[in-house]
Amino acid sequence: MTRVIEARGLVRRYEADGSPVRAVDGVDLEVEAGEAVSVMGPSGCGKSTLLHLLGGLERPDAGELHLGGARVDGLSETQWAVFRRRNVGFVFQAFHLVDELTSVENVELPALLVGDSRRAARRRAVELLERLGVAGRAGHLPDHLSGGERQRVAVARALVNRPLVVLADEPTGNLDSRATVDILRLFGELRQGGQALLVVTHDARVASTADRLLTMRDGAIVAQTRLDATTPVTGLLADLADLEGER
Amino acid sequence: MRWPGLAARLAARNLRRRPGQALLLLLTLTIATGVLGVAMSLYGSADEPWNRVWRATRGFHVAFTVYHPPDEPGDRALVAELRRRAARLTGAPGVVAVGGPWTHLYGSIRLAGGTEDLTAEVRGPGPYAVDQPLVTAGAWIGDGDGVVLESGLAATLHAGPGDTVTIQGRPFPVRGVAETVSRGRFPLSRPAQVWVSPETARRLRGLGMTEEGFELQLRLAEPGEAADFAAAHRSLEAVPASSSVVPYLETWQQRRAGSHSDIDILAGTLFAAGGFIAILTIATAAVLVAGRMAARIHQVGTLKAIGVTPRQILLVLLVEHLAIAAGATALGLGLGRLLAPPIAATSVTVLGRPQPPPLTVARAAIVAAVAVTVVLLGTARPALHGIRRSTLRSLAAGPRPPRHPSRLAGLAARAGMALPGVLGLRSAWRRPGRLLTNATGLALGVAMIVVALALRDSLDLLELRPPEPGHAASDAAVAVLYDQIRSVIFGTAGLLLVLATINAWIVAAFAARDAARNQAVLRAVGATPRQTVIALIVSQLGACAIAVVAGIPLGLGLWSLMEGGDLPAVRVSATALVLLAAAVPIVFAGIVWVPARLLSRRPVAPLLAYE
Repeated sequence: MTRVIEARGLVRRYEADGSPVRAVDGVDLEVEAGEAVSVMGPSGCGKSTLLHLLGGLERPDAGELHLGGARVDGLSETQWAVFRRRNVGFVFQAFHLVDELTSVENVELPALLVGDSRRAARRRAVELLERLGVAGRAGHLPDHLSGGERQRVAVARALVNRPLVVLADEPTGNLDSRATVDILRLFGELRQGGQALLVVTHDARVASTADRLLTMRDGAIVAQTRLDATTPVTGLLADLADLEGER
Repeated sequence: MRWPGLAARLAARNLRRRPGQALLLLLTLTIATGVLGVAMSLYGSADEPWNRVWRATRGFHVAFTVYHPPDEPGDRALVAELRRRAARLTGAPGVVAVGGPWTHLYGSIRLAGGTEDLTAEVRGPGPYAVDQPLVTAGAWIGDGDGVVLESGLAATLHAGPGDTVTIQGRPFPVRGVAETVSRGRFPLSRPAQVWVSPETARRLRGLGMTEEGFELQLRLAEPGEAADFAAAHRSLEAVPASSSVVPYLETWQQRRAGSHSDIDILAGTLFAAGGFIAILTIATAAVLVAGRMAARIHQVGTLKAIGVTPRQILLVLLVEHLAIAAGATALGLGLGRLLAPPIAATSVTVLGRPQPPPLTVARAAIVAAVAVTVVLLGTARPALHGIRRSTLRSLAAGPRPPRHPSRLAGLAARAGMALPGVLGLRSAWRRPGRLLTNATGLALGVAMIVVALALRDSLDLLELRPPEPGHAASDAAVAVLYDQIRSVIFGTAGLLLVLATINAWIVAAFAARDAARNQAVLRAVGATPRQTVIALIVSQLGACAIAVVAGIPLGLGLWSLMEGGDLPAVRVSATALVLLAAAVPIVFAGIVWVPARLLSRRPVAPLLAYE
């Protein structure tokens, strides 16, 4: 299989109350094409920071990062932007749609950024919205959409350029059960398309849909679990509760 | 501690906590109060020197002047009748001293560059009970030939006692130089004036000088009743409508007011400029106060939570901004006292050293009223808006999400506009109030530049134009005055542009703050920092478009009100207007670029995590 993400010794430090804190502390990670990886851990353990490092929204203080075979930890801001638009799709808990753009315009935005024609970008955006069941809301502004609809639009936007990897940060955190199930089904389709998926979540049901579960604590990956259909969700929840309790 | 004391303490702390914004507001207000302060100190600064000469020369309280065009001698019988009326007026109740009537002869005097119209006032040897001209050099008229020059004429001719001047083509010795308040100072006051003895007058008549009227001057027992006295004798001015003879009664206050037209015009221009600047300052204050309110929403929430009423919170805000207004008033008045004397010293009409009028409560109150009005108008809306918001809503303060997709952006996209431009257009109308505020400031600046350009072209023409016959020196003096006005208008245009720049900077900084999340999202999906900078600049360019579209016609309209009189009519060249229209967005884009660039350098993750 093709290795999509390869991280070696990633470190990210913050200043907190005058002393440095290692939000991500020497993380090694490999993710193959078509693989889904979920990341769990207590609040503040560095999950989101790791995701931001992998997508170039933050820069590592140390370590190496390869995406799609290319070393990217030394890219400039502009180089990262250009790389990200083709190879990385982000899905955020707070959706982060552009308020002034309609649903379809939000989805086609990354396609326009990579230089697709307006016609091609629109066609692809409409296709995705149809697949996600929100084509009827294509002309609506985000403010007029429900939370579930916004997240589907955000997922469509993340997929529009068929990126190597989709990075999702608590993608179902603001959604009800039904919308959560819809999003999970979508992620399942994604893997079938050969794209890698890395999901940061507190929700064990979401985590259990991945191929692999990473557990983080104090900025480091402390456990890796290969998941299959027999892995009990309740067990995962218990593990998470233990971690929360230790904090 | 009682509430007003607490309000004052809170206001003082707020000022100290955000000194930059307070200083910016103080600066913009001081620009307005400073210009008004200069105008205030300038206006009337020639009065005291005039009064000094008026007292020293036993100046008149009421003058009865009869004028008829020299080339239209008019009805001799009517002039004789008017002399009889003048004689009767000398016996009117309240008259305590009489000067004249003194005959005026019309002719011409030679000076560098040509000739000037001349009035020779025929005087006996004196002394006179009214208007004894103050001899500043040489001697008063006496036996024998010779003339006494009015001091402004002497200064223009660079002539003094012992020199000769050429009147009606013949040389006449200068006996002396004198000051009077009966006439304004040459060359801004025309025609030039000399005093001659009856003997010299006879010689001048022989050289072709003709009679153009006479003046009778009266002193009254009560100088303050001069206006009533003149009003009571208006019947003296009655002449047949067909007559070219013009008789008129004038009080000493009227003649003083007309004696220093250049300073009055300059002060009037500065008042108008101050008004323009004050209007723009309201816009700046409104934007700044809105920004301060947004930054202090937590404090407002806390105060409300502990039981402080909205009215009391408003009091804190008012105390804070009124303190800035008070500072701006003091600074503006101080600047006025400092700058007005050197400006007034450039006047050619002041009789001696100009002296700014005393700073009365009324004058200070006018400047203070402007500052307070600006602050109140600028503070009221954003302050009330901030106070009325629920605390929770205020904490999420940001631009309201748009209700409809932008059609303009849609059209631009279909027309092939680059993506950053389309994204900028999408968010252009999110803060329409700020956009219009910005546009107003820029439009006023643009209008002033148009006026300044027109004035420059007109004055260039004026300088090229040969002087009219008989106006060799006075045309040049008028040109000097217009030069000063041009400086004021250019200065005002500059100040307006400074204010518009401050406005644009503030609005751009706030726009960058508003756009921070959207920009971060754009970068997260692959937009480069450069593209986000362009999008933010485009979102603000609407103000420029409005400013150019409104400012250029406004400027041309203002110019059409100004031209006429001595100013040659000109059209501002289309090239200049096109260059101006192109320069405004370029400069504005440069201003917006700075906060946009700073924003684009901020890391994305914290901006996205904020929500």
